[in-house]
Amino acid sequence: MTAPLTTRDPKIDSTEDLSRPWKVIVWDDPINLMSYVAYVFRKLFGFSEEKAHRLMLEVHNDGRAVVTSGPKEKAEMDVFRLHEHGLWATMEHDS
Amino acid sequence: MRDRPRFRVGTAGVVVDLPGQEQEILSNLLSQLRDLVMVDHDPTLRRLKPPAHPGDEEAEAGYREMVDDQLLRGRLESIERVESGLGGTTLDEGDTAAWMHTLNSMRLILGERLVLEGADLEAHDLGEGTTGALYEWLGALLEQLVGAAGAAEGGQPTR
Repeated sequence: MTAPLTTRDPKIDSTEDLSRPWKVIVWDDPINLMSYVAYVFRKLFGFSEEKAHRLMLEVHNDGRAVVTSGPKEKAEMDVFRLHEHGLWATMEHDS
Repeated sequence: MRDRPRFRVGTAGVVVDLPGQEQEILSNLLSQLRDLVMVDHDPTLRRLKPPAHPGDEEAEAGYREMVDDQLLRGRLESIERVESGLGGTTLDEGDTAAWMHTLNSMRLILGERLVLEGADLEAHDLGEGTTGALYEWLGALLEQLVGAAGAAEGGQPTR
């Protein structure tokens, strides 16, 4: 089910490079519990327990981890949901 | 918190069972949290609204405009859900999320306050004050809730 095609002029933002996805990054902080962070990863993104745990450890050990990536709107939604859960998340353009 | 569990898995979800004194402390903290998020100028709130686009003011302003109201509404709704279940309840999925968000928000604020007061959270040096004790207690509560919620999803009743 898709919307019918229209012939309106598309507004193209020349600064936006659609081929490069956005990365959602979670940063280490001394407050959030490790168990909570892993739980949130599973809950929000449907990751397996093993994957959630691995990403949580990556955040803890390396200071940051890329948890998801995709188009800007999706990345922004993921960041918002992480913020709702009190995690320290940012997004940046893939390079 | 070695005695009876505050959160355990029942047949219909996570069961909340807080001693009266802890209900009172939480009720007090919930009112404080509500005041803080509504007034929105305490420096410790920084931690509840991290930037999505650090280093890009324009993008950050757009993000804040898009999400801040929704973040606030969600936090207030969660506080209400927790308040209504303080005396004992069984948590559905939405309640569980509300309890987690709220306990975690309190920890984030108290943690920021501890840092401002000179505590070293990495080294687990929280000082001798009430703030550190509350912070640790909330951490234990949240840890127990996460454990119970995980077990509830796996269908394992706990005692």
